[in-house]
Amino acid sequence: MNQSFNSLTEELRSVAQELLREGKVNMFIGFGQGTLTARTTPLFISKPDAAAALTWSPFCSNNLAGYLLDYRETNETIGVLVKGCDSRSIIRLLQDNQFPRSRLVVIGIPCAGLLDSEKVTLELGPQTEIGDVTDEDDNFLVSTTTGQHRFAKKDYLLPKCLECIDSNPVICDHFTGKKINIGEVNERFVEIKSLEALSPQERSRYWDGYFQNCLRCYACRNVCPACNCRECIFDQAGPDWVSKRNNLSENTAFQIIRALHVAGRCVDCGECDRVCPVNIPLRHLNQKVLKDIDELFDAPMPGTDLEQQPVLGHYCADDPDEFK
Amino acid sequence: MPVKFLTADKLQIFIDRLLASSTVFSPSNQPGNVIRYTQANKPEDICIDYVNSDISPKELFFPQTEELFSFDQTDEGIDLRVQTGYKPKVIFGMRACDVKALLTLDPVFNSQWPDPHYAKNRNETIIICLACDKALSTCFCNTFGIDPVAPEGADLVLISYGSGYIIEECSYTGRELRELYQDLLTQEYVHLEKIKEEKRKQLSEQFVHHVSPSKAKETMDNNFELPYWDEISRKCLGCGICTYVCPTCHCFDIFDYAPEETTGSRCRCWDSCMYGDFTKMAGGHNPRPTKKERVRNRFMHKIKYHLDRYGIEGCVGCGRCIVKCPVNMDITSIITDLGEVK
Repeated sequence: MNQSFNSLTEELRSVAQELLREGKVNMFIGFGQGTLTARTTPLFISKPDAAAALTWSPFCSNNLAGYLLDYRETNETIGVLVKGCDSRSIIRLLQDNQFPRSRLVVIGIPCAGLLDSEKVTLELGPQTEIGDVTDEDDNFLVSTTTGQHRFAKKDYLLPKCLECIDSNPVICDHFTGKKINIGEVNERFVEIKSLEALSPQERSRYWDGYFQNCLRCYACRNVCPACNCRECIFDQAGPDWVSKRNNLSENTAFQIIRALHVAGRCVDCGECDRVCPVNIPLRHLNQKVLKDIDELFDAPMPGTDLEQQPVLGHYCADDPDEFK
Repeated sequence: MPVKFLTADKLQIFIDRLLASSTVFSPSNQPGNVIRYTQANKPEDICIDYVNSDISPKELFFPQTEELFSFDQTDEGIDLRVQTGYKPKVIFGMRACDVKALLTLDPVFNSQWPDPHYAKNRNETIIICLACDKALSTCFCNTFGIDPVAPEGADLVLISYGSGYIIEECSYTGRELRELYQDLLTQEYVHLEKIKEEKRKQLSEQFVHHVSPSKAKETMDNNFELPYWDEISRKCLGCGICTYVCPTCHCFDIFDYAPEETTGSRCRCWDSCMYGDFTKMAGGHNPRPTKKERVRNRFMHKIKYHLDRYGIEGCVGCGRCIVKCPVNMDITSIITDLGEVK
């Protein structure tokens, strides 16, 4: 399809500029250039001219939907840029009445996958500046100050992107670029199945190894759009559900409680996994829940359809099981 | 000049003997390829092929969770027990920035009113440093005048050279330790200053960030309120990554862990000024109610408050917060931006 990211960026800038100029949004949340090779940073703009600082590339990994929660109590109309996976978060936030539709303008952009910035930086070297990127279906062609580099998607995409089910946003008011079709993707839940096949002792060893390193920095919770409780139980002064003491037992309790709390609201955006400073494979925890939802409720990925009732957020009178 | 030299194959014997004679902590490779300082029980536990650990060795002196004392209510009254399980230890493989961070923490925990827990850890730990051979793109210790090949505060430094390491002793303790391994060392004649200078030159070419905190501090000295903080703090998630991976952040919370109410322990735990409830008072008032005040506080603390209070900078340029921040909040660009405020 040979789509250039610079031309998409241009289009995005004019959409954002127009929305701000016409007063249709007070604030536009998108991506700006980061301070490191292959990194971008969330950008908040409220003046039309500032739209020139917006950027779009396969390094725009943050899910910006979660920032809507910061503007819950304001009167501002917010324009937010979403990829396919992020757009599912928007639907779940709307379904849970976490943000009013009337103050929200969703700008969608097609996404052919996100490159792992760490891997790309290792390849390019830290002082390389990245210019345009072109999508060549199986590769991304990245132009840099040191020449052109081809990154095979199968080797350089974030793991979640290899199983992508929504390369185009499932909800949006303005679509930037053209809809894309990324073709065949990997089977979902492969790693989950192999974890399920372990004995409880082996599985416990697997998670213990990771959870003992958990810093309880709460980055997984804070980045998560599904974590939208006004007061998190882990912040409550009392009762002391989970103690502040950092040890395997408390850390495990924290992680398991969080995974179950976001069940039905987690849309597999993978942000928890990306931000964890000690590389806990948190997506595996949430994917187990998603696999169960898939099998037990025969329901699509949460956040796929605005009209479909959330699996754990409704009941039906003809439920096959008794409500106990 | 004559220097003590340890060949690479003798390093193995050095480590074996160190492990047999002392409690050793060193960088180790943890699940998820995370480099963290843990107790080394066998030579394979020690990872020396690393540039900068993911988690700083601060936790060996100021652990994330520390029991200050335990209590038990008996018929005779309250029985208090202070934990006394300290063991002298050796840290093998620290970097210059992280040792400098200890010098930054010392005036907080170990000066006029020494904190007995920190003081004990600090006074009974021998620090063996590895001089840096490589810098990450996020390293900026040069900004704070730190010499990555001659760590200030170390007892012994290993400088890679040729087929082994030059051993430099930097304290009386370091000298005593070196003497224990005298039989493993050879005497070589090298121009040590020239070797160090060459390493400094190689490293300085790898540093990407060149910033001047003095200008940023001047802006901070004269401006508490700046629209900049409103803008920059919008993207902050309010998580604790930057403060928890930081080798100089030292805020803590003290609470009782007592599921049985009359029996339990008083604990000290890391806390983070990025958390919403960090300055929340009884009654509900919070002097830092939004991300703006919290982000401002963290950077003011790093660049201004610590320096004003103790005469030593609150940042050592290890760059961990830059690597780990999920939203690319970059202290070096904040220093640059503030330096440009007119």
